[in-house]
Amino acid sequence: MTVSLAWALGGLLVILACCCLLDRQLRRACLAFIVFALVMSFTWWQLGVPWLAAAEALLGSLLTGAALLHALGRAGDVPRLPQRDATPPRGTEAPAHWLAALAWLVLAGLALAALLRSGRLPLDGDVELSLVPFALLVMVLGLWAFAHHRHLLRRLLAFNILGSGVFLLLAGLAGPGPEVQGLILVGLAVALVGSVLGVLLLRRLYALEESVTLEPGAGP
Amino acid sequence: MSGAFFPIATLSTSLVAAAIIFLLPEGALRARTVLNLAAAVLKIGLVAWMVRGLSQGQTYAVEFPVLEGLAFVLRADALGIMFAGLSSLLWLFTTIYAIGYLEDSPNRRRFFGFFSLCVASTLGISLAGNLFTFLIFYELLTLSTYPLVAHRGTPKALAAATLYLRFTLTAGLVLMIGMVALHTLAGDIRFGQREILAEFGPEQRGTLIAIFWVLIAGFGVKAGLVPLHGWLPRAMVAPAPVSALLHAVAVVKAGAFGIVRLVYDVYGAELSQALGLLTGLAVVASVTILYASLRALAQVELKRRLAFSTVSQVSYVILGIGLFGPLGTIAALSHLLHQGLMKITLFFCAGNYAEELGIHRIDELDGAGRRMPLTSLAFSVGALGMIGLPPLVGFLSKWYLGTGAVQAGMPWVIAVLVVSSLLNAAYFLPVLYRLWFCPGPDHGVGKWPEERHLGRFETSSWLLLPALATALFSVMAGLLAGLPFTPLEWATRVANLEYLP
Amino acid sequence: MNSAASLLLWLALVAPLPLGLLAWLKPPRRMRAVVLAASALPLATLWLLPRVGEGALQGSLALGGLSLHWRLDALAALLLLLTQLVLLASAAYAVGHRRAALSGDVSHARFWPLLGGLAFALGLIWVAADLLLLYAGLELMGLCAVGMMLLPGKAEAIRAGLRYLIYALVGSLAWLLGVALLLGAWGTLELAGLAAVAEPDATTRIGMALLAGGLLLKAAIFPLHGWLVPVHASAWTPVSAVHGALVVKASFFILITLWRLLLPEAITAAWVLGMLGASAVLWGGLKAWRADSLKQVVAWSTVGQLGYLMLLFPLLAGTAASVAAMAWQATWLQLAGHALAKAAMFMAAGNLMLSTGASRLVDLAGTSRRLPLSLMTFGIAAVTLMGLPPSAGFTAKWLLLQASLESGQWPWVAVLVLGTLLTAAYVFRVLRCSFVEQAPRHEFHPLPRGMDLIPLLLALAAVGLGLVAEWPLAMLRQGGVS
Repeated sequence: MTVSLAWALGGLLVILACCCLLDRQLRRACLAFIVFALVMSFTWWQLGVPWLAAAEALLGSLLTGAALLHALGRAGDVPRLPQRDATPPRGTEAPAHWLAALAWLVLAGLALAALLRSGRLPLDGDVELSLVPFALLVMVLGLWAFAHHRHLLRRLLAFNILGSGVFLLLAGLAGPGPEVQGLILVGLAVALVGSVLGVLLLRRLYALEESVTLEPGAGP
Repeated sequence: MSGAFFPIATLSTSLVAAAIIFLLPEGALRARTVLNLAAAVLKIGLVAWMVRGLSQGQTYAVEFPVLEGLAFVLRADALGIMFAGLSSLLWLFTTIYAIGYLEDSPNRRRFFGFFSLCVASTLGISLAGNLFTFLIFYELLTLSTYPLVAHRGTPKALAAATLYLRFTLTAGLVLMIGMVALHTLAGDIRFGQREILAEFGPEQRGTLIAIFWVLIAGFGVKAGLVPLHGWLPRAMVAPAPVSALLHAVAVVKAGAFGIVRLVYDVYGAELSQALGLLTGLAVVASVTILYASLRALAQVELKRRLAFSTVSQVSYVILGIGLFGPLGTIAALSHLLHQGLMKITLFFCAGNYAEELGIHRIDELDGAGRRMPLTSLAFSVGALGMIGLPPLVGFLSKWYLGTGAVQAGMPWVIAVLVVSSLLNAAYFLPVLYRLWFCPGPDHGVGKWPEERHLGRFETSSWLLLPALATALFSVMAGLLAGLPFTPLEWATRVANLEYLP
Repeated sequence: MNSAASLLLWLALVAPLPLGLLAWLKPPRRMRAVVLAASALPLATLWLLPRVGEGALQGSLALGGLSLHWRLDALAALLLLLTQLVLLASAAYAVGHRRAALSGDVSHARFWPLLGGLAFALGLIWVAADLLLLYAGLELMGLCAVGMMLLPGKAEAIRAGLRYLIYALVGSLAWLLGVALLLGAWGTLELAGLAAVAEPDATTRIGMALLAGGLLLKAAIFPLHGWLVPVHASAWTPVSAVHGALVVKASFFILITLWRLLLPEAITAAWVLGMLGASAVLWGGLKAWRADSLKQVVAWSTVGQLGYLMLLFPLLAGTAASVAAMAWQATWLQLAGHALAKAAMFMAAGNLMLSTGASRLVDLAGTSRRLPLSLMTFGIAAVTLMGLPPSAGFTAKWLLLQASLESGQWPWVAVLVLGTLLTAAYVFRVLRCSFVEQAPRHEFHPLPRGMDLIPLLLALAAVGLGLVAEWPLAMLRQGGVS
């Protein structure tokens, strides 16, 4: 993989993340996430880790995507979730969320700066390293969406995007060695189980209370 | 082997009894009564065996490490066994009394279970061999008395129990901090290892003094030292056997006994005197004695008057500790026992008046001597003893306090004694006057608040006999003071054997 | 010899998984046999204990190009024993609980595989010696815990469970980011290797901060405790017991392990963590004191009690060796005592609520007469939480006080005092309510004998541990403060 391909893939990932996180039409957002995960999988393949690419395609794209779409689908006898997110965004209330997101970003930025300055990483021309800025951007988007949205499906999407950002950063900083593959595999499995669990619960919550948020009383 | 067996067996008689009582169903009256009495008698037997063995020079001790450099130590020394003897003897009477007192009342399983735990804690306190072990049982005592104070479940009882907890738990913490500080400074001090602190140089004196007063503050709450006595009069809402327990056997005694241990077995009388701690103690005790006596004068309820009397009488023990010299020590130790005998008699009698005639206030006592002569006789013995009339035990205490004061070179203490005796007389004699000389319902004047006929005698014999027995003991202890194994003799022995070179 | 011990260890670690599955598949009546079979596990750990006294048992598993390191030292073995005992107790309790509270509820069967998974995950965390294995254990634990919390299926349980899930997931991403930074900077995931090469530079600090953030969130340390109380309010009693006793502690264990490897000398940060702990003690105590329902009292008390553990950080950082040793022993003793007592307390509270059919404190009136055993258990468990003698809490508090006094860190003395008083305040508020006699009579449902007995045994164990503390602590000392 060349640096320019890495840049292209990174840019594509950021754009897809935007699509996924900004769209109020939930089905479209979920589809955007599936494409996002496929591009992730392609990136792993290009980095020379086909196993991880297969795992990402299977766990991240296929299964997590299916789980997310299941939330909006008709399966089972529970009522269907509305297809559009009609809840108002959080805005500036809940400052703790924003503070946490900000702290996260500042810490990550500072650490990266320190790491780059320390010279322990090979600086230019490295393909993995060129993914780092995109990983950061994806993380920013994920964090923003996580703090901003109320709708639980969108928060799950945000969590998945944020997770992918962390994986990218991990691979960018440490290269695709076996340890990194192990960490990412566990992370993917956790994200999958978390998403499935979250989606099932969301459907149950909607069936019981017609609510799609954590705040009691705030309807859809 | 037997050295370890006896302390553990003494402790576990009440623990096992408590466990079985909690397991027995509420209705198992007879089994519970038998168990209670058997455990109390067995305990007296075990303590008596240790007294005998101890005077023959045997040692009874058991210990195991709890932390690095800190051990759980049970050891029967002369002082500890004295306190153990007092509590196990009075325990028997209190148990008998409680069985009679709580007849037909609810929640007896809970009551007697915690009652037994309470005696186990008291025994643990008396046999503890270092401050750490002492603290363990001291706090257990707090926990096991809470349900007893709250027993009636009325808002007043619950409020009093909460107040009791606030005082005692805070005091327990203060005590713990003091003990940890002492432990940090000097390591694990077994009772009797007075040389450890005596070897500290003058630069550590400030710390030692500070720790001493922190510990005294911790002990002082249970011992009812003014201004830490606030819980005691309020805890009077508890049933009479509990009051007897709080005042005569366990709680205030545990506080006073703690101070005894601290001064004689940890710091040592000489170091305490050298640091000027004893004078401080004597002053605090004198203030307590006078203040509480004055407060007692103002009370109209019998039990509250007795409560303030306890506050003042327990401080005689502290006063005795404060008088440097063997006579002061004898006064302190013997009064620890004497006050227990007299005060428990008074509380038993107060309970009898309340149960039989519904009397709670002093002005309702008119002519009760005619209706309940034996109870009133016992009450009179206790009250006269408290005033210090010879040949009753109270006189012995005051005599030794007076001579001890001279020996310690603190003649002002004699003035305190005289004033407090006058005050004692002032708050007890009117009660006696009303009992014996005022005409009451039995003379055809007025009527008892709530008369019941509980037994063949003037009241139920379960209630009457303990009161008579303890009254008899306090007369005997005074009359036969010179014989072996009386409180005074044992106190003298402890003072001579352990505290004087 | 060594390989036999390793084999036994891994058998004991993995065994809960098939046992859980077995209990899931078998009809409910057979669960007792499974519980009985599981009681062999603590015996295995007991057999291992003397063997790890001198030197830790360690090894690695090779998976493709990846090698995973594990290590069983005295601390890990003791924690494993504690875990097995508490889990066993709650499994046995759950058998009775199903019969008394949930007869006919089919979702109860799902409890068992989740419990098995949780047992495996906790075991993995205690023995893990690299960040990947820790990560896997942490995640498995979190997911199993969330799953168990959700079993009741009520709306408030789902909402609380979802909140817990989302926080746990975000916490693990923070953890993963921290791991990414450490791996990028030092190139290894193995703890021993990391300790050898890592320097406390900016990257390590920030990586550790992110790790700590994730772990504090999962451990419900003030101010990240918001998810804990609602989750307990609706969970089943045996689940609450396991969660309050063990799950939150595992995150603390990881935090302290990593902290001591990577940033042993970071005094300011350690004080920050200590202050967080102090605030947790006070805030948790206050909230527990003001809480209206019994389960909330117990849950808030967990928030408060966890704060005591955090005092370890300032007492370890830059203090004398003797102080560090005392604080080290105190913390693990406190952890063990709290685990046993909290499990007992949740179960006792559950019993009280189950048989009175009410959950508010005022509805407890008269229970001291009718349900003395449950109330007694509650009281005995509370003795440990209050740190009154002779419980493990007391012995731990003694050591903590001694360490604070000896190192001159006076603020912690005040924290310990206030914490004890607050604990006493909320505990006796409960007991006081139960002593009230003039109250409307409730219907009291009888419970199976075992449901009373198990928490009583746990509570007594917590109290007794204070007296026999020297046994585990000597083993800890032998392993050193490392």
